[in-house]
Amino acid sequence: MIVREVVVKNKSGLHTRPASMIVRTAARFKSDFFIEKDGYEINGKSIIGVMTLAAEPGARLRLIFDGEDEEEAAKAIVALFEQGFGEID
Amino acid sequence: MEQRQVQAEAQERVFVGIPAAPGIAIGPAYLFNKREVVVEARSIAEAEVTAELERFEQAVQRAERDLDKISSVAREKLGEESAAVFEAQRLMLRDESVYDRIREYIRTHHCNADYAVARVLDEHLKRLEASSNAYLQERVADLIDVKERLIRHLRREKLLSAVHPEHIIVAENLSAADVVLFSRRGILGCATDHGGPTSHVSIMARALGVPAVVSLHGLSDSVQTGDLIILDGIQGRVVVSPRPETLTLYRTRQERYRRLLQDQQHLIPLPAETLDGRRFILRANLELIEELDLLQKYGAEGIGLFRTEVLFLMRGPLNISEDYQLHIYRQIVEQVKPAPTTFRLLDLGGDKMLPIAHREHNPFLGWRGLRVLLDRPELLLPQLRALLRASAYGPVRILVPMVTALDEYHRFLEVLEQVKAELRTRGERFDETVPVGIMVEVPSVALMADLFAEEADFFSIGTNDLTQYTLAVDRGNDLVAQLYEALHPAVLRLIKHTIEAAHRHGIPVSLCGELAGDPQATPILAGMGLDEFSASPPYLPEVKRVIRAMQFNEAQELAAQALQCRTAAEVAALVNKWLQEHGCGLLQYMQTEEPAGGNVRSTASSLQES
Repeated sequence: MIVREVVVKNKSGLHTRPASMIVRTAARFKSDFFIEKDGYEINGKSIIGVMTLAAEPGARLRLIFDGEDEEEAAKAIVALFEQGFGEID
Repeated sequence: MEQRQVQAEAQERVFVGIPAAPGIAIGPAYLFNKREVVVEARSIAEAEVTAELERFEQAVQRAERDLDKISSVAREKLGEESAAVFEAQRLMLRDESVYDRIREYIRTHHCNADYAVARVLDEHLKRLEASSNAYLQERVADLIDVKERLIRHLRREKLLSAVHPEHIIVAENLSAADVVLFSRRGILGCATDHGGPTSHVSIMARALGVPAVVSLHGLSDSVQTGDLIILDGIQGRVVVSPRPETLTLYRTRQERYRRLLQDQQHLIPLPAETLDGRRFILRANLELIEELDLLQKYGAEGIGLFRTEVLFLMRGPLNISEDYQLHIYRQIVEQVKPAPTTFRLLDLGGDKMLPIAHREHNPFLGWRGLRVLLDRPELLLPQLRALLRASAYGPVRILVPMVTALDEYHRFLEVLEQVKAELRTRGERFDETVPVGIMVEVPSVALMADLFAEEADFFSIGTNDLTQYTLAVDRGNDLVAQLYEALHPAVLRLIKHTIEAAHRHGIPVSLCGELAGDPQATPILAGMGLDEFSASPPYLPEVKRVIRAMQFNEAQELAAQALQCRTAAEVAALVNKWLQEHGCGLLQYMQTEEPAGGNVRSTASSLQES
């Protein structure tokens, strides 16, 4: 199991488009993927789950990956957060 | 509701609505029924479970194909943001809390898939509706779409695939997804019970060049698939089961309109100038960045009204940052320059969605426009900063919506000064002399126009609201909607008063209501000295045609006469005669006699758009 801490950097938070990007990316991997915010955990492969987080800019999230390809999955998802989901700064 | 007579010929009925995209369509109706689907629970035997799961799987796959198509068209026509909405809907179909739970429900309850879909999604819906987060509340519509799409596919209702090209879509209302899908099927036109000129259906129809009429209260209850209908997107009406004479009349009009369009091409590069050389400015009303190419296509000189609501509602009003707004505004300004772009500040309230769940007894007399902005600095400040910063890249004009009193406007100007000071401290570049104008859409402002003109850089008259407030008529209320008369002399007098006050103070006046795109109003408005006409781009060439056919002093004379008329009908008669004498192209269209038959409206009470 791998745990990564990320901060929502993009200006509009995890709205519909970033949420879709997370779910689509996570679906490429076999590992389980959960996102924890303020002690509340959701399945990161569920679009409804990710949207329900309604994470605003600046929110701190814990990403939990568990499975055979957890390394690759963590790398891909963390990269999305770091690039601000391709949004303009 | 009238009884349908078997045998006897169906009676001709005329519905009056709001023109949303110009053109005339004649053809069979296709009734697109969006009413809530009723789902019944049905028990199934253990042995049927596998087949039921397979039936569910098939429905999911068909829904996925739908949404793939919708998001690819949306990406092209409406942009990345709205495509993301449909992509998210597609992902919801396979979401474990949807897909897995529905399968689970079928297996454990031995019930039909339709019922399982409804149960599982209703549970999600309840949770979202209870949320206090505005973004999550807006996702309710997505979930409802997903639920209804799945249930329709389970029933194998041949929804969209049954729409033949050559049909006119009739619906209570159409979502963005519906319009996008229909648009791929070569439909003839769209007619909806609800909606306004800025609803998705109207925006899409204009972008695609499909005639449309909205706000035709009760139409969808009176039409069945296959009924012959005429849709007139110029005058905003629909004729159901037309008599042979009416049909002939409209076929002639349709042919004339087709020739008119061909003939319009030569007008597009020409200036909006009278025979004696008086110039008027024609600008566009827009709401999407994807619509910018319409400026050139229809010969608009800049944007007279960029409505920012759509931009906000796509993401949720509080999810749209200063930088994101700047990114959008800058692209628009850079493409439109050297002509100016007039951005109207977020105009919420009235019939437009509010950021917060909010009900008012009388929203048109309630919390809307500038009142909302002054109470909600978290909406106003980022938008002002973004607009000012965009002014560094090209000419920006800021338009303040729904101003009603001078002190309110003073409070706004104070906020603007604070924002400017803040930007200077931050070292941001912006145009220090950005023109700030106000919407004149309430009688109090029109009457005090001389005082407002001292402190505003320009006026923009919003005739839709000005007419409603002056005549005390809610045009969404079927009982009184026929009293909404855009050419009412009282409204014309307020417009005249506003223009005179502005010109005494040397500021220009624009008009951005529907009236600006109505060639019937053009000679009166021009004669009163209006400087700029701002309308949805496809309506501009005919306005230009009228301007180019007249002498300015003749128009002034006509305006003076119109202001002395007693009723709107007198004004209409006066201007029609005038247009006839001036041989404008559209004149031939309008001078043909009206089809007989009353204006049939349902007696349903007023429905506010949500």
